Amino acid sequence: MAGQNIERREVLRILTVAAGVATFPGFSKWTFACTHIGNPLAHIKPAVYRPIFFTTPEYALVEHLTDLIIPSDDTPGARDAGVSEFVDLTVSRDPELQRDFRYGLTWLNMRSDETGGKTFVMLNPDQQTALLESLAYKKKFRAGDEPGRKFFDLVREYTVMGFYTSEIGLKELDYPGLRFYAESPACPHKDDPEHLHLNPAPSR
Amino acid sequence: MSTKIYDVIVIGTGAGGGMAIKTLCEAGLKVCALNSGRRLDPEKDFRNHRMTWEIKYRGFGDPKTRMKDTPDFLDSEYNQGAWEHDIGYRTAPGTKWMWPRCSAVGGKTNFWGRSSARFGDIDFKAATLDGYDTDWPVTYSEIAPYYTRVEKMIGVASTVQNRPSNPDGVYLPPFNFRCLDMILQKGSEKVGVPYLPDRLAQLTVAHEGHPPCHFCGDCTFGCEVGAFFSSPWFLLPVAEASGNLELRTNAVARNILVDENGRASGVAYIDRESRQEYEVRGRAVVVAASCIESARIMLNSKSRHWPNGIANSSGQLGRNLCDHLYATTASGYLPQLLGQPSFPDNVSANAIAWMPRWQNLERAHEENFVRGYSVYPDGGCSEFPSYHDQIEGFGSSFKREMKRRYPTPVSLTVQAPTLPSEKNFVDIDPDAKDSCGIPMARIHFQWGDNELRMFQHAKQISADVMHSAGAVLEYAADEPEMPGYSLHETGTCRMGNDARKFVTNRFGQTHDAANLYVCDASVFLNCTDKTTTLSILAFTLRTSEYLVQQFRQGDH
Repeated sequence: MAGQNIERREVLRILTVAAGVATFPGFSKWTFACTHIGNPLAHIKPAVYRPIFFTTPEYALVEHLTDLIIPSDDTPGARDAGVSEFVDLTVSRDPELQRDFRYGLTWLNMRSDETGGKTFVMLNPDQQTALLESLAYKKKFRAGDEPGRKFFDLVREYTVMGFYTSEIGLKELDYPGLRFYAESPACPHKDDPEHLHLNPAPSR
Repeated sequence: MSTKIYDVIVIGTGAGGGMAIKTLCEAGLKVCALNSGRRLDPEKDFRNHRMTWEIKYRGFGDPKTRMKDTPDFLDSEYNQGAWEHDIGYRTAPGTKWMWPRCSAVGGKTNFWGRSSARFGDIDFKAATLDGYDTDWPVTYSEIAPYYTRVEKMIGVASTVQNRPSNPDGVYLPPFNFRCLDMILQKGSEKVGVPYLPDRLAQLTVAHEGHPPCHFCGDCTFGCEVGAFFSSPWFLLPVAEASGNLELRTNAVARNILVDENGRASGVAYIDRESRQEYEVRGRAVVVAASCIESARIMLNSKSRHWPNGIANSSGQLGRNLCDHLYATTASGYLPQLLGQPSFPDNVSANAIAWMPRWQNLERAHEENFVRGYSVYPDGGCSEFPSYHDQIEGFGSSFKREMKRRYPTPVSLTVQAPTLPSEKNFVDIDPDAKDSCGIPMARIHFQWGDNELRMFQHAKQISADVMHSAGAVLEYAADEPEMPGYSLHETGTCRMGNDARKFVTNRFGQTHDAANLYVCDASVFLNCTDKTTTLSILAFTLRTSEYLVQQFRQGDH
């Protein structure tokens, strides 16, 4: 195929360069990926995000929930990764998700009102944690909270989807893919095939 | 339209079509190839080298347009537009069938799983061994040289394994075992199950002008550098360079045209964009549109000579549809690896090891099922940590546990062949026409007892392997994946010596029309426990050379 042949030559040329570079110690990222990683344009964001679907108070609550689910602690969290923007974009494309999110956010505020006479964001941090724990941990479940538990699972799922597909999230996991490896990665523990004597991972 | 008469019209450009086109063009025949979709541009259409955050919906796809009829590990935001959703099909009442089709040039070879095991006499003579169905009209010794030539052509990484069910071939250096493979191998040893490097058509070293794999890990979304076999990277450029190929894209084949003697004289097709009908003439026709599609084209080729469709005087056209039952037989994690640094365990996006058939080897009836299945292990640090729903809670403890679990996931998938059954076949829906006005295929399919017994057996063994490996078992499927999910359908144009019982002869030449050939998995008697692509390539190479010989003898 003519078109593909031209591309192929170009690709081969670049790969040959990449293969040469790969013999130098320390080179770990494939050249193609390099052109994408750290592209400064990808990081330009408007100073204040304007939600596509959520109202301003809804969006604030979504952002806060993502932050509670994956907080910034000794490493960056969901707020740093802009997860609520991903949630807003995704929800804006699906009427079913819109209904579930809007219902869930309302449920959460009503539940907060019962406990503290306030919306969720106005509760103090301990009250917020306690409420979420009653939705998140089997042993703390309360009767009648099924809709809230369903919503918590939903918002956690979308937080996970948004966070662990962000640059920050994949750095958190140290995603090892989309790099150039000169040979197929091999287990470094050949003397311990059952892996029963590995050094414990360094705590962070 | 011109009245040019080509030597051969080939329908399809995937494994079968691509190999036929290459072989025929190299032999000097003038070929017109019809492909129902467009050409792909690896740089634009394969987005596998983009990081998730560089893709609008992070690879999950736009919820508004996300397609549900093809598994999302194949049809996703990474290669949107490459899979077929426009041309419909029907399923008979009670049949569930997922039919992922790639209509782009090169077909499914653009995105395939790359596992490349040879069939052997245990497959070809299975009927003699266990009394079920009928033997293939070829022996292993007859087809082995073609396997060797194909392996040398495409490059297959593996080791010589001396397994009774798996003839060895000519191999590039194997993929290295990763931590999870070492652990699962030990566990499998204790259970008495083989755990070996898979046979992967993926280049561990540069091969025949193709660059080596760089192990980036997103192969199933298409390879931008052509480091694993696909028709557009390995076959079609050779054909095009010969000057003997004319490739017509967006040409949806409708039916085979016949001459006054009932022999194939060309193909009628619809241009997908204009919906105009065209005809192209040839001295011979090769149908390589993939199993169900090939049957549909031939069943839709009704004429005075062939009132039930061309090459269907046996009534067997469309019959004996087989598929692989796929299911996750075990998944969980390896606690040995908890908290270990991340490791490039996703090197080939799926399995680099396999657990090749170990059942019914000494005797045909050792188990409560006949024949056998294989299992593919998978796991490691993936692009997305899908184990999140196994971890309770939120906050810093949740985040830490997500990280701790990252290198540990493992899963086992069974690949179990169905046996040919009268219940499983393809016909033409009498009422429904697709967007090109072509009568639709209608699929009739049910799992049979034999494959369901294999599934249960595989679940038990998989649990044993996980246990012996020290893994924590979290999940095993109650139901198999939907039929069609494996993309390994076979049958519908089976080969055999008896013209009353089979559609083609042992060379893939139809019994009814001597200048009509079938070059895809539809000629296979059944699907065996192995994947189909390598065998499609080997059988097609043989058929194509036979076809060339017919030309040289003046028969076409």
